[in-house]
Amino acid sequence: MHNRQHRILLIAKRDYLATIRTKAFIIGLVVAPLLFGGGFLGVALMQSKPDIKERRIAIIDGSGVVAAAVIQAAQERNAKDLFDKTTHRQVQPHYVFETLPPAADPKAERLALSERVRHERLYAFIEIAPTVLSAPAATNDTGNAKDSKPGPVATYTNAGGFDEASGWLSGSINDGIRRVRLARLGVDPSRLSDVLASVKVDRFGLVSRDPKTGEIHEASKKNEVAEFGVPFGIMLLLGMIVMVGSSPMLSAVTEDKAQRLVEMLLGMATPFELMMGKVLGALGTSLTSSAFYIIGGTLALEGMGLSGMVPFAVFPWFYAYLIADVIFLCSFAAALGAGCGSPQDAQQLAIVLLAPVMIPYFMITFIMQQPNGAISTALSLFPPFTPMLMLLRQAMPGGGVPAWQPWVGLVGVLAFTLVMVVAAARIFRVAILLQGKTPKVAELVRWAVRG
Amino acid sequence: MDAVQISNVTKTFGAVTAVDDLSLVVPEGSVYGFIGPNGSGKTTTMRMIASIFYPDRGDVRVFGRQMLGARSELIGYLPEERGLYRKMTVQALLEFYGELRSGRKVTAEVESWLKKLDLAKWASQKVQTLSKGMSQKVQFIAAVVPAPRLLILDEPFSGLDPVSADTLRSAILDLRRGGVTVILSTHDMHVAENMCDYICMIFRGRKVLDGTLASIQDQYGIDTIRVAADGGAQFLDGLPDVERVRDFGQVQELRMARGCDPQQVLRTLIERTRVTSFSIMKPSLHDIFVRIAGPEAGEAQIA
Repeated sequence: MHNRQHRILLIAKRDYLATIRTKAFIIGLVVAPLLFGGGFLGVALMQSKPDIKERRIAIIDGSGVVAAAVIQAAQERNAKDLFDKTTHRQVQPHYVFETLPPAADPKAERLALSERVRHERLYAFIEIAPTVLSAPAATNDTGNAKDSKPGPVATYTNAGGFDEASGWLSGSINDGIRRVRLARLGVDPSRLSDVLASVKVDRFGLVSRDPKTGEIHEASKKNEVAEFGVPFGIMLLLGMIVMVGSSPMLSAVTEDKAQRLVEMLLGMATPFELMMGKVLGALGTSLTSSAFYIIGGTLALEGMGLSGMVPFAVFPWFYAYLIADVIFLCSFAAALGAGCGSPQDAQQLAIVLLAPVMIPYFMITFIMQQPNGAISTALSLFPPFTPMLMLLRQAMPGGGVPAWQPWVGLVGVLAFTLVMVVAAARIFRVAILLQGKTPKVAELVRWAVRG
Repeated sequence: MDAVQISNVTKTFGAVTAVDDLSLVVPEGSVYGFIGPNGSGKTTTMRMIASIFYPDRGDVRVFGRQMLGARSELIGYLPEERGLYRKMTVQALLEFYGELRSGRKVTAEVESWLKKLDLAKWASQKVQTLSKGMSQKVQFIAAVVPAPRLLILDEPFSGLDPVSADTLRSAILDLRRGGVTVILSTHDMHVAENMCDYICMIFRGRKVLDGTLASIQDQYGIDTIRVAADGGAQFLDGLPDVERVRDFGQVQELRMARGCDPQQVLRTLIERTRVTSFSIMKPSLHDIFVRIAGPEAGEAQIA
């Protein structure tokens, strides 16, 4: 009697070859990154074509002295930012201002200006209170929508929540107010631009000492692409490969079941061998995809002279997480597929399967802002999320993840994967020959626990 | 040694008892046939022998060993619901199945069987190009490569045309002559009568018949008259001591009541019409099946 490993590997080999020889796999290998990357490319393209239509802004100046300074500050800013310094292409809209005196009926005036905004004759209007110069320093916005009382300066606009103009105008208004304040303090108006000029703040990592030579290494300048793009990219890659490798398992098992292939195989291999063979076949597919992307990506970065950005140190972790994630998700998918009465049932369950990959995507911003905070640490040690979130933290340059955390995370993931494989094998064994009935969740849980 | 020993086996699925306290023995080298209505427990029993299902209670032994979920190259299994990887070539598929079962390359055996079942020229074709009959032959080869000691066939002739059925029957009998024990299930009573050394009928999960055809028929005695007469069944109403008439069109079968005199039946018939054939015989397996599982089961009297 030959051994179990041989049968598992034989099934894995068949499934692996059957998958990688399909046109769908080869096309998917190319299309998946295009789909993921296409979104970013689209955003970049849209950003390269900004809306440069002239924007007219009305200012109602209750103070009587601030509007002129605001307009001057805005025009100086506008003149500086209007054109790209390299291409000389206009990259910002031209802002044109008009000043209005405060009306006897402020409500009617606001309504009239609002109508002009609605009819696109104005982009926005700004109302400056008479007390603006003596107003206390601004505090953080509480975001309380019920608090609709305007402050010392209010901007009225019909634009969306992510309107860049608001930030730009806010900067110009504050600039203008500072100018008036400084002028009142006796600063020479001709020197105001120098006084208010910003300086560039460079960000560096930390200085370190070579443990062998004792030599002190200067800190290197932080690179935004490396800081954000690389961790995000490698996490995206892991998620993409895991999804590409594991999501077909659900429909593959359901189809094998629907086409009555399973019982033939069960005459020759045990349900566990059949499931593990399929899981390892999918793992082989994922490793092939990852090799394609990792080698291709590394060569591409080298070609662009950016090889220093390739996070070689996290590659072993990347593969450890990839293997654990694919085995866990594929086992889960095989169990769900075995329980499905039809391919339609399987499609409905696909979203459940994608949750451990998709949910971490929604946490990216939070984790990147506080990579070593308590919540980030806890989330990245939660086994279903560990592969994605721990890898994200590890791939952040100078992320400072304590050395023990990836190891604890990996042990947790491996233990979780083992439990899932055992539970999935039990469900698979019972459910795979059921026909004409989709088991209830309670039944699946009972089979997972008792077999 | 017996090929299979099943002792007091019960298998339930939820509230349904598929097999209920079943015991049987399959002698080595025999052809053992399961008959019974749909849902009676035949497939579940065969799945337990193949170690695909585990019994809830009782013991299943194959060549004296409890299989306990293990797979063995000694057992070839052809399920009733059988599919094939449609995009593989016939040769590659059969080599995959053969290696999966035996752990070794089986190229020569596959080629030999393809030749034997007249499929050699299809070896390099994809399975999806085969006709249904050819697919069924391929499925059969998958169950017999490499040669098993025990071959389990669930409805092997279902859907086959007569020529393919003859080819398969001949192959099965060849294997049996080579010492292979064959367990098959069938709804075709002629197959059971003509091929099987032993027949076991399972009804509602329980064994209701088990033995050779002759021993089963002996349980019912000689209680059947097969008659062919001008006018057919219309002249058979009201015959003395005849319990039931089954009309096959050209021939009718009469079941005699206990104490019935067949000579008297013949005399009465001759008075009514011209009789062209009259035989007194044991009941057919078909008739026995219907007596047990048919609508009149409640009225049947098992001798």
